[in-house]
Amino acid sequence: MTHTIRRTAGAFGIAIAAFVTLAAPAGAAGETIGGCAIEAAIYAEEAYGSLHAVEEDKELFKKLEKEMESCLEAPSPIIPEVDEIIWGGAAFAVLFGFMAWKGFPAVKGAMDDRAAKIASDLDAAEKAKVDATQVKADHEAALAGAKAEANQIIEDARQQADQLRSELQARANEEIAEMRSRATADIESARSQALNDLRGEVASIAVGAAERVIQSNLDASAQQALVDAYIEEVARG
Amino acid sequence: MNVLALEFPPVNHLFDWPSIAFEGTPFALNKVGLTYLFAMVATMAIFALAGARRGRLVPAGVQHVAESGVNFVEESVVMQTIGPDGKKFMPFLTTMFFFILFSNITEVIPVWQFPANSRMAMPITLALLVWVIYNFQGVKHQGPFGYLKNSLFPPGVPVFLYIIVTPIELVSTFVVRPFSLAIRLWANMVAGHLLLVTFAVLSAALWDSLAPAAALPFVMLILMTGFEILVSFLQAFIFTILTAVYIGGSMHPEH
Repeated sequence: MTHTIRRTAGAFGIAIAAFVTLAAPAGAAGETIGGCAIEAAIYAEEAYGSLHAVEEDKELFKKLEKEMESCLEAPSPIIPEVDEIIWGGAAFAVLFGFMAWKGFPAVKGAMDDRAAKIASDLDAAEKAKVDATQVKADHEAALAGAKAEANQIIEDARQQADQLRSELQARANEEIAEMRSRATADIESARSQALNDLRGEVASIAVGAAERVIQSNLDASAQQALVDAYIEEVARG
Repeated sequence: MNVLALEFPPVNHLFDWPSIAFEGTPFALNKVGLTYLFAMVATMAIFALAGARRGRLVPAGVQHVAESGVNFVEESVVMQTIGPDGKKFMPFLTTMFFFILFSNITEVIPVWQFPANSRMAMPITLALLVWVIYNFQGVKHQGPFGYLKNSLFPPGVPVFLYIIVTPIELVSTFVVRPFSLAIRLWANMVAGHLLLVTFAVLSAALWDSLAPAAALPFVMLILMTGFEILVSFLQAFIFTILTAVYIGGSMHPEH
């Protein structure tokens, strides 16, 4: 394929170069008026021997004069030349034939194919975008579900912990209350015991003191002194 | 011609080219004929190479030139003047645009330096071809009487004005159009070629006699060369769009 393109390009390049080469001398041959006049004079000299001979012959002189004047003449630029119409018309006809047959459909076809491909790619991209949006929405929904589930689990755990704490606290309170009542009972029991003991002690002291008092008839201060001494004895005792 | 001591060739000599082949026959080939052949070969080369590279997603080089041309003719000429049903004229209008453009642009190609459309041959040939096509389209789409009626009695014009409008339309549509189309292209290219030759001759003459003064015409020559590139393109566009306007008018008289 590349080979064919290169060959075609080369052929066209050579053709264009040939045209330029051909056209350049054609341009240079656009002869000057002076050149044309000299050519006419040389031709007359060669044809009639010398310019002097031409000058002497009125007819020849007029002929040369006319030829030289014709150097100033050129076809009217506004009148179309048949040969130019033929070459131009043929070139246009061939070009139009080529364009209608191959050139235009190939280029336009390539443009249309590209436009269709771009449109198809855009559609595919749009579809992929919609799919991606759907997948994203699904993921987001799944994520939201997982988050809700996690929150539920946390909430449940929190409730269970709260319940457990309440239970433990209640149990602890119960135990404390039980311990307190037990301690109170123990204290009460100890106090009763102590009171009983004290009462027994006091009774025995009182009995002892009363024995002493009964044994000796004492005045009040002596009785007091006896009791105090007895108490002190018991305290030391 | 001697003006201000400058040797300036007679104007008609600037457009007269001797034959280089088949001299004396109706097939005599001169620089003008070669230029038309160049326009043909150059356009064929561009479209052949562009067609061979159709697989490319991003066009470049000749493919870009060909596609830009086709797109330009489609969007700026056909769709603006005829509409979607004018797309069948795309190959013809694209051919016409490139052929005229390349026949004009040789005006600024070094060594060549001659616009083929400064000769009347192809401007008038193409204009007459356009005349045939748009008249044929008018008869085809509106019928012979409908086409004549719509052309000569444009709707919406007060009846008494037809006395003036109808003769004007008759001359304008059926006589003047091809000549105005041809002369517009031809005269623009003649004027461009004369301008370039004038500044070139002036530069050369002043370079020989008063070198520093040659700078001004030389700068003008450069500027005018750039301007003529624009004119070459513009004239190809104008000829093509007017063709499309005429064809569109024949196909859709309501517009």
